[in-house]
Amino acid sequence: MGKFLTVFDSASSALAAAFAMTVGISAAAVAGGILLGLVIGLALTYGGRVLALPFRAVVDIVRGTPVLVLILASYYMPAGLGVSPGPVTAGVAALTIFCAAHIAETLRGALLAIPAAQTDAARAIGLTFGKTLGYVLLPQALRQIAPNLVNTAVEIVKASSLLSAIGVGELLLTTQEIIGRSFLTMEFYALVGLLYLAVNLSISAGGWWLEHRFRLR
Amino acid sequence: MNYVLNFGAVLRGFDDLLSGLALGLAMGLAGLVVGSLIGIAAGYAAVFGGRPARAVVTLYVGFIRNVPILVLALFAFFALPQYGIRFSNTNTFAAVLAIYAGAYLTESFRAAMLIIPRGTIEAAQSIGLTGVGVALWVVLPIALRNALPSVGNNFISLFKDTSIAAVIAVPELTFQARKINNESFRVIEVWLVTSLIYVTACGLLALALRRIEKLFPRF
Amino acid sequence: MDAILTIKGLEKSFGAHRILAGVALDVFPSDVVSIIGASGSGKTTLLRCVDLLEEFQGGEIRLDSEMLGYRISGSQRRRLSGRELARQRARIGMVFQSYNLFPHLTALRNVMLGLTKVRGLPNAEARGRAEHWLDRVGLADRRDRYPSALSGGQQQRVAIARALAMEPRLLLLDEVTSALDPELVQEVLLTVRSLAEAGTTMLIVTHEMRFARQVSTRTVFMDAGAIVESGRPEDLFGAPKTKRLADFLANVSH
Repeated sequence: MGKFLTVFDSASSALAAAFAMTVGISAAAVAGGILLGLVIGLALTYGGRVLALPFRAVVDIVRGTPVLVLILASYYMPAGLGVSPGPVTAGVAALTIFCAAHIAETLRGALLAIPAAQTDAARAIGLTFGKTLGYVLLPQALRQIAPNLVNTAVEIVKASSLLSAIGVGELLLTTQEIIGRSFLTMEFYALVGLLYLAVNLSISAGGWWLEHRFRLR
Repeated sequence: MNYVLNFGAVLRGFDDLLSGLALGLAMGLAGLVVGSLIGIAAGYAAVFGGRPARAVVTLYVGFIRNVPILVLALFAFFALPQYGIRFSNTNTFAAVLAIYAGAYLTESFRAAMLIIPRGTIEAAQSIGLTGVGVALWVVLPIALRNALPSVGNNFISLFKDTSIAAVIAVPELTFQARKINNESFRVIEVWLVTSLIYVTACGLLALALRRIEKLFPRF
Repeated sequence: MDAILTIKGLEKSFGAHRILAGVALDVFPSDVVSIIGASGSGKTTLLRCVDLLEEFQGGEIRLDSEMLGYRISGSQRRRLSGRELARQRARIGMVFQSYNLFPHLTALRNVMLGLTKVRGLPNAEARGRAEHWLDRVGLADRRDRYPSALSGGQQQRVAIARALAMEPRLLLLDEVTSALDPELVQEVLLTVRSLAEAGTTMLIVTHEMRFARQVSTRTVFMDAGAIVESGRPEDLFGAPKTKRLADFLANVSH
């Protein structure tokens, strides 16, 4: 225990930086994923044959591919195109697309589940399609998928650990480096597990709190 | 950009990719079977058990679902040998996958058992079946069928999660792909093909699942 | 002749809410006792207490003088173990309002389950007996159908066969026609009548007043958790002694 505390003490700043990296990557991927997912979801639902098809193909391919493969692909493939975005950018891009594909599907499901009567009612009071979407359909759909978004955020935080495979200095890789120097394998893997647990439980708790707040309105 | 597509290296390594796929499917299946045993027991405890049992299940599920599977796998891979427990990489990952799957399958079976009407349970009690009898001859057969769609979806997710075994050098599909990538530098071809293999496999699994679900619809 | 079932001073509360307030009833062999009353009068709860599906706080229930559900040790009253409760339940048959057939078993196997898993009979013998009871309720030709392929009335008759196959000391019927479409009610009532004529001891909770009047040897009227009137059906229905029963009967016929 003593040795653990000593090592922990000296590694604490590295861990803090790594923790910030994990949170930052995850937040960026979730934010980007929500924005992108919204656009793709709308395109899938209302795009008609022509527009929906390419998006459909992309979403199906992304969802059928393991996130680690997406990450490795986004890390290695750019070299072939003459670009070198670096591991962090590549990793965040992969996580963002992964997140967006999932959110797009979920949003599509929620939008399709809204009874047609809602659209009829909106049209009857003279709303254009754009306004119907913005004032009637999207608010309901977004409210429906809110719990799902919390789960997705948790999945992204977990997936961020996979960026260690392409050398991003996030929480897991940094922990492995500490273990490499100190040989306190059990202790530090246990610690990092608890750290992820803490982050994800906080996200879930935050989600419940937000849900509560909006229900009470 | 002067990259010319050439699938030669990938085609030469296709056998390795396929054997990697088979290994991934096998691990996924093993994880599903063992994970289901865990899930049925834990799901039952969560619905019919007393407070201590329900608390244990909540802790198990809460922990596993919030910790990355890679962390669990690395923990098992590196830390367990210090306690004298030495499995092969593949078996280590399969065991971790089973425990990981168990947490998600607990939810599947819990939900399936929860929708069994109270009246069905009471009818079983009224003909004199004991707790064990009710669980074995009434709850279990019904829950297994109710849980089928959820278990099936979990299997597809599990199969995709087997890709993470590549990080601890298990020779499944992703590992083989990375090997071909590093040896041939055909960076675009190998990842395109690998992704398509996964997508096709998942697609076929989903089709098979839908067939099975039609044969055994929910009660 | 000794009573099969004796209930003395039965009391049950759910929190502050009193559901049964001192019920006393004796049921003798071949009695067909109908229990009538408004919703919330405690009729169903009474049946569920007898079948040990509910706990009760006061009084006692005895089946052939064996105390049901509890054991007295010294001055303490303790609930029996799951095993012992199951054994006692096997001696009482219950048919539920919503039939509660096992969806994963055919009609035949529904009836066989108790015989094989509770009585421990070998498959062949259990099958033979189950077929006899299914035939008794007129469903021998439906034995290999699953509940989802049976009408409500047919499901209820299978439920009756399932309860009877255990050869219980008495049969409890809890509003067995209430969940049925009107055209399916008759087939179930006819089955119950034939059981009564064969001497089956039964406790029937029902809304079907005409049927209660025709088939029961004794009628009991419950209100607010207690038995208010009890006697021959023609007396209760024809000449109610209490205002509560009179009001109830007046409400029911309109």
